Formats: sequence, structure tokens, C-alpha cells
Amino acid sequence: MVMPRHPRSKVSPIMPMVVELLDEWGAEVETICPEEELTRLADVHVEHDLYVLKCGSELALSLAGALHAAGATILNPFPVALACRDKVIATRMLQAAGVPTPDTYVAAHPGELSPLLDDGPLVVKPYRGSNGVGVHVVWDPDQLDDVAHGGVVFAQRYHKPEGRDRKIYVIGGQVFGVKRVWPARTYEEKLGEPFNITDELREIALACGGALGIELYGLDIIVSDGHPYVVDISSFPGFKGVPDASLRLADYIYAAAERVLRGEPAVPGAATTEVSS
Amino acid sequence: MRAVVIGAGRVGLGFAGELLGRAGAKLTVVGRGQVIDNLGRTGHYRVRLVDPGWQEERRVRVRRALPASEADAVAREIARARLVAVAVRPENLGAIAPLIAAGLEARTRKKPLNVIAFENAIDAGPNLRAAVAERLPADFRLERHGFSGAVVSRAVSSILGDPAAPEPLTILGDPAERFQVHGRSLKALPRLPGLVKVKDFEAAFNAKLYVFSAGHATVAYLGFLKGYRYVHAAVRDHEIRMAALAAMREGQEGLAARYGRKLAGGEAELEAILWRFDNAALNDPVTRVGRDPGRKLSPEERLLGAARLYEEETGKLPTMLPVAAAAAVCFAAVDGDPTGAETARQLSAHAPGLLQELSAAKPDAGLTESVTAAWERFSAGWRHDSPLFTLATRER
Repeated sequence: MVMPRHPRSKVSPIMPMVVELLDEWGAEVETICPEEELTRLADVHVEHDLYVLKCGSELALSLAGALHAAGATILNPFPVALACRDKVIATRMLQAAGVPTPDTYVAAHPGELSPLLDDGPLVVKPYRGSNGVGVHVVWDPDQLDDVAHGGVVFAQRYHKPEGRDRKIYVIGGQVFGVKRVWPARTYEEKLGEPFNITDELREIALACGGALGIELYGLDIIVSDGHPYVVDISSFPGFKGVPDASLRLADYIYAAAERVLRGEPAVPGAATTEVSS
Repeated sequence: MRAVVIGAGRVGLGFAGELLGRAGAKLTVVGRGQVIDNLGRTGHYRVRLVDPGWQEERRVRVRRALPASEADAVAREIARARLVAVAVRPENLGAIAPLIAAGLEARTRKKPLNVIAFENAIDAGPNLRAAVAERLPADFRLERHGFSGAVVSRAVSSILGDPAAPEPLTILGDPAERFQVHGRSLKALPRLPGLVKVKDFEAAFNAKLYVFSAGHATVAYLGFLKGYRYVHAAVRDHEIRMAALAAMREGQEGLAARYGRKLAGGEAELEAILWRFDNAALNDPVTRVGRDPGRKLSPEERLLGAARLYEEETGKLPTMLPVAAAAAVCFAAVDGDPTGAETARQLSAHAPGLLQELSAAKPDAGLTESVTAAWERFSAGWRHDSPLFTLATRER
């Protein structure tokens, strides 16, 4: 289980409980926190039947890539986790699958976005960012000067959201909606409250998983003028606010491990939907 | 002692064969396909008995493995056996009756033959006897031989291994070994581990069906609705655990009124049952436990049979058993896949027909209405609110 080590103030009980349940059900679980360890690269070998990539840090992703190259089975599959980390790749894949997203633009310099502001504001985000860090709504070309970037500028057309932030979580085909205040500061705020998943949202949510070949993911959704837009997808989010999240995740991971032991892909159908990176 | 096991499936090998082997029987297994080839090739199989934190593997020697198509050879084996264990599913009893009839006709031994049907069907023993009698001459003295069903306590979840491989197969089950037979219907029965002779087979059968099986089905169908894959995960869900307990209590209440509190059991038995459902080592998927919902929804079966007994004995309608039955209707309507995009449409298309069949098969209007009402709440939840946060929201 490749997991981040959060400061004590941010600890969610979900993943520790997943580990506890899997252990209780007879799985041998080792927790790896790349950020807290010195890893000798030559010692990175495939030692487990299944690696669960919960951590999306650059170091964890790189190590997952090394394990993937060595033949490890990783949940979610490494190429998909990598694609989800990169908003340029993920957004285009979702668009190609017919998932509604805001008009999205990429450029090497923020100034390139300037003419687009004639048609309304843009949301500029770090293309490998997460947790809302570095997200700005840009209304005026002058604001573009302040946009920090590392050679990739990622922008989406701003749609004024109706109501609170909406998260959709999917665990093996089950779809859950949680709305919460933004920014959610406390754990309680992050738990949010459930909202109804309409047929349309359910279809969109499952189409995202279908596009990437995964069953375990989270989506950020904006509903504006009655139209839903997927503005972000994350591989293995925190699932905060999903009832019995630990139990559901442990059940899903246990089934994935069983599939691996039977010689099948960890994600059903993954062999045909694997993302090339 | 020579014994024949007809049916090389989970119960035949994982329960009947294992107990007979332990009693020192020289075992002949009759079945079909690659499993029989494997048994013939390897000469044995293994039974892995698992409990949380404990497991034991037992080797079961198979003297002879025969395809059912070799009718003469099978009849010769039955002719020399003291006991035949049958585990072929109730609908197949008629098909194997000629084998037993031929074996009885070829029999030269004086000792009677006992035939035990390990079928989880209340009338499996009498039905098999009648099917065998039809194939024997009118003057054949069938009363010299014994026929009974069996109430099996062991949960046997799967057969592991590739039958085509050179290695022996492994059958996975829990360690329970008790099985109850109708004592009076059997003749000079040899001593077998786990064997319990009962006077009232119907009571013993219903005691298992309306408590253990009703609880198991409740966990499976509600677990399925909530998206769980395994019984051991679903039963950890507080709502499902409480629902299973409530359904089993309703089963117990009807049984206690009809047969007495001792047979029905109490809270300690329910806790022990939940502990068995918790057994992750069985790897038991909810779809396996829930399969064949049409049969499990029949009027005498675990959910509606228990509900009817409760209603008849208490004069009240049960609360949770109809909800579990409605979940079984959902399971049947979406063909065991709750995640398909077509779920709501499938439910709307198929469930009314299932409910109609239910109501035609079961004239009790009150109970059918309860099941239909629970189904309508599930269905409305599905139409308007696809995420199942809780059973309450699903039932909204």
C-alpha cells in the first residue's frame, strides 16, 4: 500500500481502516510511505502480488513507474495514475470519450490566453496540481502576469458553479456524490453531505472510468446553468464522505487482489483499456 | 466400507466425500467432465477447512472416479456400497435415479443400502426414493433400503485449482461438520463424523433454512444492493448486519412458535452465525450466495417460507424478510449486476413480472404486498437517486 504520510492534524481514518480490514481478512499488507524513506533504487523489486497506489506524489509516481517497468501489478494501473496526474492528458482522454468538460486550452506562456478572455473568464490551474492548490480565476489579461507555470499553462473556461463543490466518487461501479464547502478546511467539512446522483451524472461518472479503464476514482464536477462539467479526475482520492468508505475500498481491493492471484488483470477489462503513456 | 458419492461438486467433495473419507470409506466418485478426469488421474483431492485465523487441509483419497455416463460401472459400484451420497442439485435427482435403481438391482449384498441426498431441499430424500422406485420392478423390496435428505451445516464456497492440471483440486469450506438426517428413513446406518439422526426432519430442515439460510440470503442480496462483492465485507456493514439479524430473528420467532424455542435457537446462535458469515477465508462472493434467486424466492424457501411461518404463527407480517425478498427480486431483475448502466431500466422491465410470479405462486396477499412495497421503495430509489448511501436512501 503506497500511501502518503499526512501530518497528524490531517489524518483520515479511511486508509488505516482499509489496511486493518485487509489484514483481518488474511491479506499481508505492507505500508510504504516513499516520502519518509530513503530508497535505494537498485533494491526496488516486485515483492508483492498487488501494489495499491494511494499516494499521488511525484516520488510515489516515479517509484510506481519503476515497479510497473519491473512487472508489478498496480492499482490503479500506473499509466492511468500518471494520466490522472497530468490534467492535459486526462482532460483530453475524457473529452475523447464524450465526457463534458469546459473548453480547455494549453499553452507555453500565460500571455497566449489573453485573447480568450474576451469571451469570459478562465480558470488557470497547475497542470499537475491537486487539492485546489494554485487554482486561479482570471478575468483580466493583467492577471496573467501573476500566473506561475513551469512551461505548461492549463486553462479552462470558467463556468459559474451552482451551489457547493461537488465531488463524485466511484468504487467499482458504485457512484457516490458528496458536496462540500470550498475550501474545506476541517475533516468534518471534507466529509460534506451526500447529494443525489442523477442518471446523467451517473452516466458521465461511469464514462470517465470507462475512458481510463479504472473503477476507483474521484471527479470534481461543476454544474452551471444546469449543465454538468467534469473539471478534474483523480486516481484514488480520499473518498471522504462516502459511507462505509473503508469497508467498500477494502472489499474492492480484496477482489482486485483475488483477480491478480487468479492471473487476471487487477481491474476487470484493463487489458483492453490500458492507457498508453 | 465402500461408499459412492454422486456429484463431484462443492458439497459432494467438500462435505459428503470428506466425512466419508474420514470414516474410512473406500470412495468412488461419480460425476462429469474434467473434475472426474482430475480425480481419476490424481487419485485424491484436498479439503481446506478455514476459520478466521485457523485452517486445516485434509486429503481425501478417491479409490475410483467414474463418469456418470459409464452407467454399468457405476451400478456395480453402488451394488457393492453401503452408502451412496448424492449432491447433484435437486432438479437433477431424476436424472441420477436410474444409476441407483440399477445398482440396487445388481446388489447381492444382504446389508441395506442407505442413500443420503445432500441437497438443501426438504423433500430430496422422498423424491429420490420415488424416482428410484419408478425404475424398479414392482416386486422390488425397496423398503429394505434407506433414503433421506440431509441438512448440511458446512458452508463450502469454491473448488480451487484447474481440473485440467496434473495437480489435485482443493475444496474450500468452513469446519462445520454436522449433518442431520431422518433417522427412521435410514437402515443400519454406519457411524459417520458429524451425523445426527433426527425424528422430525422437516423441523430440522426449516430450522437451518429459516435462520442460517435466511440470514445468508439477506446479507447477500442487501450486500449486492449496496455494492459489496464479498459476504464477509457485506456483513461488516452495520445496516446489513442489523438487517440480517432482524431477518433471522423473525425466522427464529416463527420456528419457536411452531417447533419450540430449543430448536429455533436464541441470540447466541445468531452471533455464531454472523461469525461464520465474517469468515473472509471462504472468499464467498455475494453473487454466489445469491444465485438462483427464482428458487430462493419460492414460497417454501428461506425468505418467503420463513416469512409465512412467522405470519402464520404470530398473526403479524414480518418486517425484514419481505425487504430481503424485495432485494432478491432486484438481484434477479438485474441479473446479478447492480452497476450496469441499464440497471434502472432492467428493474422496471423485469421486476414487475417477477413480482407477479411471486404473487401467483403465493396467494398470501399481505406478504406479497409487503414484498412489492419494499421493491417499489428500492425501485424508486434507483430511479431517482442512483447512489446507495444507505438502505434508507435506497428505499426512499
